[in-house]
Amino acid sequence: MFRTILSRELQETGVSPTLLSALVALTILVLPSAYIQARYYQRVVEDYAVRQSISQAEDNSRTIVLIRPITPLAPFFNGAYDSLPDEFRVWNDSATTNTPSGDLTPLDWLFPKIDLCFIIGVLLTLLTILLTHGAIAGDRDRGSLKFILAGPVRRRTVLAAKLTAVILPVTVILIYVVLLYTTVVMVFSGGTVDLSGSDLNALGALMVVALTVLVATAALGVAVSASVRRSSVSLFVCASIWIVTILIWPSLGPYMASSFKPVSPPEAAQRDVVSKEKELIHAELAEHRKTAADLKERQVGVEFAWRRYLEIRRKWIERRNEEIGRLVEERRKQVRDQRGAARRISLLSPYAAFREVLGSLCGTGLESYDEFLAAVEQYRQSEFIPKGFDLRSRQKPWLNATDPDDRLQLRPLQAPSPALSGRLAAAAWPLSILIAEMIVLIVSSVVIFERCDVRV
Amino acid sequence: MDCGGSRIWLIARKEIIANVRCFKTPVVFVAMTLLLLLSAHALAIDYRNRLNNWSVNRDGQRNPVVNDGVSYDLPDGSFSHGMAFGNPPPIEAPRPFSAIVKGMDGEMDRAVIVRSQIVFWARHDEPATGALFYAPDTSFVVKLLASLFAMMFSLDAMTREKEAGTLRAMLSQPFRRRELILSKSLAASISLLAPFAVAYFIEIIYLRLAHGLLSGREDMVRAFLIFGLGALYGVVFIHIGIFISTITGRTKIAATMALGAWATIVLMLPNVSVLMAKLLTPTPSYSQLSARLREARMRILQEEAEADPAARLPPSRPVSRQNTPRLYEIERQATDDYIASKNNQNRWARLLADLSPAGALTFGASDLAGTGVDAYNSYLELFRSSRDIMLDALKRSLDLPSQEGYKILQEARGTVANRRRLTEPLGACLRSSVISFSSLLAWAAFFGLAACWRFERYDVR
Repeated sequence: MFRTILSRELQETGVSPTLLSALVALTILVLPSAYIQARYYQRVVEDYAVRQSISQAEDNSRTIVLIRPITPLAPFFNGAYDSLPDEFRVWNDSATTNTPSGDLTPLDWLFPKIDLCFIIGVLLTLLTILLTHGAIAGDRDRGSLKFILAGPVRRRTVLAAKLTAVILPVTVILIYVVLLYTTVVMVFSGGTVDLSGSDLNALGALMVVALTVLVATAALGVAVSASVRRSSVSLFVCASIWIVTILIWPSLGPYMASSFKPVSPPEAAQRDVVSKEKELIHAELAEHRKTAADLKERQVGVEFAWRRYLEIRRKWIERRNEEIGRLVEERRKQVRDQRGAARRISLLSPYAAFREVLGSLCGTGLESYDEFLAAVEQYRQSEFIPKGFDLRSRQKPWLNATDPDDRLQLRPLQAPSPALSGRLAAAAWPLSILIAEMIVLIVSSVVIFERCDVRV
Repeated sequence: MDCGGSRIWLIARKEIIANVRCFKTPVVFVAMTLLLLLSAHALAIDYRNRLNNWSVNRDGQRNPVVNDGVSYDLPDGSFSHGMAFGNPPPIEAPRPFSAIVKGMDGEMDRAVIVRSQIVFWARHDEPATGALFYAPDTSFVVKLLASLFAMMFSLDAMTREKEAGTLRAMLSQPFRRRELILSKSLAASISLLAPFAVAYFIEIIYLRLAHGLLSGREDMVRAFLIFGLGALYGVVFIHIGIFISTITGRTKIAATMALGAWATIVLMLPNVSVLMAKLLTPTPSYSQLSARLREARMRILQEEAEADPAARLPPSRPVSRQNTPRLYEIERQATDDYIASKNNQNRWARLLADLSPAGALTFGASDLAGTGVDAYNSYLELFRSSRDIMLDALKRSLDLPSQEGYKILQEARGTVANRRRLTEPLGACLRSSVISFSSLLAWAAFFGLAACWRFERYDVR
C-alpha cells in the first residue's frame, strides 16, 4: 500500500508545474550566483597574495600584519568571512590589534551575496513548502482523503508515503543544485578552488544536514496541511511560518541580543584601552628618561646602556601585554557572551541553525573566526614577540648601519584547520537542535494526522 | 458614473467586511504591528548604540596624543627611543532614519583616515553577527509581509467566485467586468493598507515617544513617503494576485502560483539584478588599490635611490621636491578611480534593481531615508574633497619653511576634522526615489491592466 500511494504521489509531484518551474528558476539563479562566488573567491585568493606581499615587506620587529587565509569552502557559504575583519595589525608591546583596511561593500548590506547556503536554506525550503502544503489538505479539498483512509491502510503509512513522495524529488533537486553549483565554482574560479578530500567530505556532510532541514520543513508542511481543511489556507499558514522562521527571526536575533545583553560601544572599549596605553607609555618613558640620565652621569658604554634599555623595554612590554591584555580579554568575553545570546535566540530558526552548522563545516562561521583570533594571539605570544625582541636586541642603532640579514624571520601563521570530525563536533549544538526540530515536527505531523477528522 | 462608483464601492465593502469576518484583516494587523514594533525596537537600539559609539569616538578625538621620545647619549654613541600613540580615527555619525531603513548606513560604521590618501579601516563587527543576515528594518518587514499579505487578499478574488459559481450570477448583472476587477482591487487594497497604515503609525509613534526619533516635520514627511512607497508596493502585489486569479480557475493552483511568483519577485529578481550589476561593473578591491599605490611608491623610491646612491636608508616616502607631489597625484588618481568604480557599481545596481518591485522598494526607501546609494556616494565624496584639502595644504607646505608649512597643515587638519556629512535634502531624496516610484506604478498599472484584459476574455460559461 505504501508503494502504491508513493508511486501515485510521485507521479503527481513529477508532473506538477511547481517542480518544473522551480527547477528552471533554480538553474537560472544558481548559474550567476555560483559564477559570482567563483570570481569573488578567485579575487580574494589573488588579494591574499597581494596583501601578504605588502604586509611582509612592511613587517618589522615592532609590528606585523596577519591576514586570515580563506578556506576553499567559502564560495559555498560566505558566513562571517565577508562581514568581519580578516586583517589584523599586531604589536609586540601591546595586546591591542587594529584592522588596517577593509573593502567597501555597501551593496552587501542591502542584498547579501547569494551562496549555496541561501539557495538551500531559503529557496529549497520554500519549494518543499510548496510541495507539501497540499499533502493532506489537497486530498481533503478534492474529497479523496476519506477514500484513501477507507482502505486497509494505516494513517502512518499514508503519511510516510506522502512525506517520502516530497522528500525524494527534493533530494534529487538538492543533489542537482549542489552538483551544478560546485561545477560552476570549480570551472570559473581559475583553479583557485582546490577541494581536498576533507572538503569533499564536508560538502557531503553539508548535503546530509541540508536534507535534515528539508525533511523538517516537509514535516512542518504536512503537519499544517493535516490541521487545516483547505490547501490554500495551508499554503499561507506554511508561508507565514516560513517567512518568520527563515527570513525574519535569524535577522532579528543579533539585534535582540544587543538589546537584552548590551555591551559597551566598541569605541568606549577602545577609549579605555587607549587611555591605559597612554598611561603606561608615559610611565615607561619616565623610566627611560631617568635611566638615560643616570647612565649618562655614570659615563657607561653604549653597549651596556643598550642592554639596560632592552631590560626596561622587556619589563614594560610584559606589563603592557598583561594589563592591556586583560582589558582586551574582558571586552572579547562581553562580545562572546552577546554572540552566545544572539545564537541562542537565532537557533530557534532552522535556517540559522543550518547556517551555524555550515559555518563549522566550511570554516567560515563565528566559531572558526574566534579560533582564528585565538591563533593570532597565540602566534603573537609564541612567535612574534620573542623573535621581534630577539631581532631588536641584535640591532645596534648607535652604529647607524643596518645588517643585511636584519629582517624579521617568522614562520607563517598556521590557521586552524580541523578535520571533518572536529568540524562536526564544533557544530554539535546547532546540529542537535536541527535534528530535534526535525523529530518534533515529524512526530507532530503524525499526531495531528492521526487525530484528523476526515468527515469534516 | 456615479452608479458605477456606488456598485464598485458596494462590492468592495462586502469584500472588506468578509475579510474582517474571516479574520484575515485582524491577523494582518496583529502580525504587521508586532513585527514592525519588534523591528523598530531592535533598530532603534542599534541606532542608539551606534550613536553612542560615534559620540565616544568624537570626544576621543580631542584627547592629547602621545608622541615623545628619550635619547640615550653615551660617550661612545647614542640611540633613542620614541613612542607615539594616537587616538582612533574618526567615524561618521549614524543617521536617525536608519532605525526605519538601515540601508547602507551600517557600511559607514568604519574609521577613515584622511591625509594625503584615504585609508578605510575595516568596519565594526557589531551588533554581533548583524552583518550575516539582512537588517530586519521596516523596509525588510514590508518587503516580505506586505507582498505576501497583499497576495493573500487578492489571489482568490476571482477563483473563489468561480469555484462557488457566483461569478456567473454577478456577471449576469448590468455590470462591467473591469468594474468588478476595480472593486476587488479596491477591497484588497483597503483590507491591506488600513491595517498596514495603523501598524506603521503605531511604529512611528513608538519611535517618537520611546526613542525620541523622527520628531521634525521633514522626518514625518520622509516617514509618510516611505509608507507611500510601501503602500504602492503592496498594490503591485494585489494586482499580481488578481491577475493570477484571472488566469486560473482554482484557488489551490492560484495560491501555489502566487507563492512561486512571490519568491521570484521578492527574493530572486532583486538579487539577480545586483548580481548582474556586479558582473557588468567589476570594481577593484581595496587590496588591489593598496598594491597599486605601493607599487607606484616603490617605483619612485627606486628612482630616487638610483639618482642618489649615497642615500643610506630608503625612506618610506619620496624626499625630493619633484617626486613628492608626483606621488600625491598618483595616489589621488588611483583612489578617485577606486571610489568612482564603487559609485558606478552602486548606481547600476540601483538602476537594475529598480526594475523589480522589491528592488525598487529597497532602494527607494533607503533613498528617502537618506541611507541609500546617494547618501553613500556623498559619504565617499566627503572624504574625497577632504583629501583634496589635505593635498592642497601638503603641496603648499612643500615650498614653505617648516614652521609655516606645519601651520598650514594644522589648519587643513582642523578644517577636515570639522567637516560633517549633511543629511541629503528631502528634494534630492525624492528625486532619487522617482525611478522607484515610477517602477512600482508601472508594475501596478501593468498587472492591473493585464488582469482587466484577461478577465474581459474570460468565458464565464
